[in-house]
Amino acid sequence: MTYNEFKDKIFKLAKEKGFEAQIYYSKNYEFSLRLANGQMDEYKDANSSSISLKVLKDGKIGSASTTIFDSPERLLEEAITNYEIIDSNEENLFYDGSGEYLEIQSYYGEFEKLSVKEKMEKLNKMFEIASKKENIMMVPMTVYGHQTTEVSMANTLGLDKTYKGDGGYAYLSVVAKDQSPRSGFWYGLAPKPENLDIEKISEMAVKEAVSKIGSKSVKSGKYRVILRSDEFASLISTMLIPMISAENAQKNMSPLKNKLGEKIASEVLKIKDVPYYEGSLSNASFDSEGVPTKEKTIIENGEFKTFLYNLKTAKKEGKESTGNASGRGIAPINLLVESGEKSFDELLKELNNGIIITSLEGLHSGANPISGEFSLGAQGLKVENGEIVSGVEQITISGNFLEMMKKVEQVGNDMWISFGGTITPSVIISEIDIAGNE
Amino acid sequence: MCYNLRENNNGGEIVLSKELVHEIIATVLKYGGDFAEVFVEKRYTNTFEMKNGDLENASSGNSFGVGIRGFLNTQAVYAYTNDLSRESLLNVAKRVGEALGEIKIKDLTLNLTKKEFENKHIVLLYPEDISKKKKVDIMKRAYHSAKKYSDLIKQVVVRYWEYNQNILVANSEGVFSEDNRVRTRLMISAVAEHNGVMETGFYGPGAGMGFEFFDRIDVEEAGKLAARTATKMVKADPAPAGKLPVVIANEFGGVIFHEAVGHALEATSVAKGASVFAGKLEQKVATECVSAVDDGTIPNAWGSTNIDDEGTPTRRNLLIEKGILKGYMIDKLGGRRMNMEPTGSARRQDYTFAPTSRMTNTFILPGDNYPEEIIANTEYGLYAKRMGGGSVNPATGEFNFAVNEGYLIENGKITKPVRGATLIGKGYEIIQKIDMVGNDVARGQGMCGSISGSIPADVGQPTIRVSEIIVGGRNK
Repeated sequence: MTYNEFKDKIFKLAKEKGFEAQIYYSKNYEFSLRLANGQMDEYKDANSSSISLKVLKDGKIGSASTTIFDSPERLLEEAITNYEIIDSNEENLFYDGSGEYLEIQSYYGEFEKLSVKEKMEKLNKMFEIASKKENIMMVPMTVYGHQTTEVSMANTLGLDKTYKGDGGYAYLSVVAKDQSPRSGFWYGLAPKPENLDIEKISEMAVKEAVSKIGSKSVKSGKYRVILRSDEFASLISTMLIPMISAENAQKNMSPLKNKLGEKIASEVLKIKDVPYYEGSLSNASFDSEGVPTKEKTIIENGEFKTFLYNLKTAKKEGKESTGNASGRGIAPINLLVESGEKSFDELLKELNNGIIITSLEGLHSGANPISGEFSLGAQGLKVENGEIVSGVEQITISGNFLEMMKKVEQVGNDMWISFGGTITPSVIISEIDIAGNE
Repeated sequence: MCYNLRENNNGGEIVLSKELVHEIIATVLKYGGDFAEVFVEKRYTNTFEMKNGDLENASSGNSFGVGIRGFLNTQAVYAYTNDLSRESLLNVAKRVGEALGEIKIKDLTLNLTKKEFENKHIVLLYPEDISKKKKVDIMKRAYHSAKKYSDLIKQVVVRYWEYNQNILVANSEGVFSEDNRVRTRLMISAVAEHNGVMETGFYGPGAGMGFEFFDRIDVEEAGKLAARTATKMVKADPAPAGKLPVVIANEFGGVIFHEAVGHALEATSVAKGASVFAGKLEQKVATECVSAVDDGTIPNAWGSTNIDDEGTPTRRNLLIEKGILKGYMIDKLGGRRMNMEPTGSARRQDYTFAPTSRMTNTFILPGDNYPEEIIANTEYGLYAKRMGGGSVNPATGEFNFAVNEGYLIENGKITKPVRGATLIGKGYEIIQKIDMVGNDVARGQGMCGSISGSIPADVGQPTIRVSEIIVGGRNK
């Protein structure tokens, strides 16, 4: 059964039973090459598709999904049985597709045009650059890949939207020789192959590992630090994104509830959600409810300006959706911490004495967006008189995320784009708790 | 409750005919490679979410897909699709073969005979046979128990997750086996608030069982456990920072072995030489009180299966015996690279991932000490009563994990609660610092993420003491 036949059948059946219906159809193509120590470890070439159905009546929703497009009746039945057990009084809605949608180019098709041989050459080159570098004893993993996603959304209220996007990525891990092995990892992503700088990615992974040679732990204490852009992105994604969800605030699960209009961060921070950022793979003109996306300021001069809403949470507060529905929750499209003036090197001079945090570990377990507390394994570089003097290992950093946001002194201009569309510069934080081996 | 016993639910569910499976394997080998494998998966999933005692989300999913893999010596190619037409599948098989190239096996004599095995993980109540309302009732019981535990509890989120997965694995070595895996899990998160401070507690018991799981566990107790952690921690001071002796409680405490040692014993890193334990078989790697196993055969355990995702029967693999390294966890590709036999350890999240060596149910075996004895023998330190998750870099052994519920030990007694502790170290160093092992082994359930996706895994241990470990907390 084709997608259109399947959709029409479902909509008709749903209407007959007194339901509105909405379909989210996605079709994915994934290609990746992975080397282990220079040898082909995995070559992945794959297609998959799935249909998710939501049915709506009296403000309640039931959901079901399938990868087998043989029986619209069965899918509808399953969604209705789920609808029947919902006992929440919250009002859910569908969107009718009105309003203005941004025109965003998200599909280029350039990665698909590369032959396997060309992709293989890029991969081998990444491996060779890294493996030939001094002090590198092993390159356990080198990956080059790309994916294409096509989404079609439609509902019985008239919404009918499609999206096609693609992008590629490359990453590698290297191990440098030392008394105990030192690892380095780096990744990059881009909408087109010409923007994916594989040489730089390889060199950065090497630099990362080599800089750790001779690393030692430090004395426990309070330190002034630079949180490097990529790690600031990870921490912001883990902590701030759930905190600015209107749903979490409404459900007593965000420390930012009741804090609208308050100073929650340093004056130097401006944070926005933007539907488009050049180089990001998360750009979108509509959210997962089909609502048009738009730019909004979340934090300005340290002041908390708005939560992010989907249809349901907006209705609850008599507001409009901000176009931030994401799967079953709420999330920014591209969370952007606006760039400052200073380069990373200038930040380094500014830090003068302290530690650069270059790696945070255990974010999924040691950072709690409800309490705001974090305690994480970390690695970094020691800075004395504005110069990097040695590597730092076996430390943890801990604190409260919101307190930390107030201690941001300086914002750099070295913007980093993460896989999930969090875009951040490096920042100087005036004081952070570090535990070490003394 | 009354059970309708029935035969293992496998067989008859998988719709790819043996002839077509044979044809796929032959096609891969005709175009290249020296080994071909077909993995067919059909899965039915239910996920429900309750907040404030109301069921807000209910979603069910049916998925069906096929993974086709080929090897040429130690190179691997993987493709998957959920277009199940013969034409599409043979086209994918051809692409896999062509990507491998070189060795082309034209006349394949392949005898695919279905291997029958005893089903060690009997399921009594299949997800699709139990009304959704009964499942929601379980969630409500957990919710109410957590909510009324204390006035400090401001929110309780209960999640219910279950699936019924049928797989068929066939390969050019004649493997043709089916397995059925049913998993059921209840996850409770409680949020406590006190003087404007919020904290959370979590408990998530699960098993390789159907709905009968809820006759085996105390649902109310599960709710209380999540609430207890949240209420204790919301009033706690920050944990101290620095190097301390740490006593880690049993059950989910075993995440320390899983992260610090287990991952580095997987062929995934050992075969590449990218593990601190590569080349160390029969060497002393831990203190004598440490013995550990990975056992995928424990009836109905969260990480158990009859066969692994390459069709190799699972088994109990001895990893460390009295401090001596005895074995690794090995998949077929890792086995080819290491010149060793697979150990029934190949796992994958679903058909969208190629399998690799992973843990099943991994735990430290019991020692001689009573847990009370271990506490009483500790002058000053941290008692990690409930652990959160963790992670590791197998190449360097550096691990970290979070303590969800911790207390100080002072003069051999557990005293005040402390929050926000993370433990870090290097796996190969930490297992040489385990100086007391208790006699109270228990297992806890988690999801383990790695290159073949997120899979259910049990961790476990008795109460243990590590003589010193870096605790990340606040400085005075």
